[in-house]
Amino acid sequence: MGLPLFNAQSDPGPSFFHYAQTAGLAPPSRQGEPESRHATTVVAVRYVGGVVMVADRQATGNYIASRDIRKIEPADSYTALAISGTAARGIEFIRMAQLSFEHYEKMTDSALSLEGKANYLSPIIQRNNLSSPLVVIPLLAGWDLSHQVGRIFEYDGAGGCYERMDFATIGSGSPFAESTLRLGFRSDLDLEGALDLGALALYEAGDNDPSTAGPDFVRSLFPMMVNINDQGFQELSGEAVAGRFQVINDRRTQSGGVAGGTLR
Amino acid sequence: MSMPFYVSPEQLIKDRAEFAQKGIARGRSIIGAIFDQGVVMVAENPSASLYKISEVYDRIAFAGVGKYNEFDRLREAGIRWADGTGFTYSRDDVDARALANYYGQHLGDMFTEGQKPLEVEILIAQLGNKLHPTKLYRIAYEGTITDEPRFVVLGGDAETIKDRFAALDDSIQSLTFTLKSAVSALAGPDRTLPVDDLEVGVLEDRGTRRTFSRLSDAHVSELLS
Repeated sequence: MGLPLFNAQSDPGPSFFHYAQTAGLAPPSRQGEPESRHATTVVAVRYVGGVVMVADRQATGNYIASRDIRKIEPADSYTALAISGTAARGIEFIRMAQLSFEHYEKMTDSALSLEGKANYLSPIIQRNNLSSPLVVIPLLAGWDLSHQVGRIFEYDGAGGCYERMDFATIGSGSPFAESTLRLGFRSDLDLEGALDLGALALYEAGDNDPSTAGPDFVRSLFPMMVNINDQGFQELSGEAVAGRFQVINDRRTQSGGVAGGTLR
Repeated sequence: MSMPFYVSPEQLIKDRAEFAQKGIARGRSIIGAIFDQGVVMVAENPSASLYKISEVYDRIAFAGVGKYNEFDRLREAGIRWADGTGFTYSRDDVDARALANYYGQHLGDMFTEGQKPLEVEILIAQLGNKLHPTKLYRIAYEGTITDEPRFVVLGGDAETIKDRFAALDDSIQSLTFTLKSAVSALAGPDRTLPVDDLEVGVLEDRGTRRTFSRLSDAHVSELLS
């Protein structure tokens, strides 16, 4: 790879994705029917001081391929990006997003706005999903530095970007997680409330969806929980997550495997 | 048919070198120096937005003197090269020497084959770790690469500033000491440089992946006081 110099007409500017396409670093596309199943659950919940995200850790093929993969990654210090769909494309998508935001910052000496990041991903998702059977659906959540508020952006299969004011879910466990969130969400949730609700939604999905893993007490593997606020992206420690799921599990055991009439 | 004038290769190279040197001499200088915790780059730059010093990669920085549009294009190409290499292979595989060689080749090509040589001089600095050494590569307008052991001066008045800096700072010192020496070497005996006219970039390990930072005017004043 030589020095990537361009003339003023063909210069890809600060967009790493467009440079990668020009340089042949992005994979070629192939037509075909979507063949991937979205075997995942990721939820994002807004609260007064930011956004909470929870994701299961199971990769499912025809059988369980991995029990400890990470489906949420920091796209930069104030933004979290989660994926559902084909793992290979999803992981590449996260790398591309991380690098694109950093590339833009280095090229222009200013960071992209949160909305700018959300919009930037749209054509990348569109290009992948409409030209390949290996579909990826991401979920973006972050702290908007200019408006000082946590925001969630979800995408459809064609790359359409929609801001959600309350919560969002992706993956095969979505119906179960979403039902829980719909019943439990309040606009005045604090961090603790949002973490509890997010964990419960994921527990429900893990309980009902065969491709979503709930807490695994045998192997001490627990879903991944992150908090994004004015301090940036923070991942909760393993013990903090384990404790939270232990409480839910104990309650469920006492009430015979059902919620028992309350949202808990 | 008219015959073109014969110009000897020696004369051609001399003319081109003179042209490039004149262009570079019009701009102000930059000092890049290794200090005990990293690398500091100090530029005399009255503009607060048209930077001469920039981050290229996790442990690599760029500094350029001469024509802004020319070195800024090289800076962008360097960032693309580094991000592309890290994306294709691994972040650990991005090395300043390879980048310095590409710059050397491009500047050499432009010097001999271009419409005009580029009127720039650049510095590629790398903060060392277990895999790569701490390095200062100076790439001249005609493509010559020099690997400077402790400090490097770019720009028109390089020789004078080099002597002044060498007299002040004869070994690897703290950031404060190195910065003070660099500022006084850039200013010379007859003037003082206001903090507004300084651009300072540092490569330093702070426990994060990216090691480059721009020092604010307030921080620079504090270090210089």
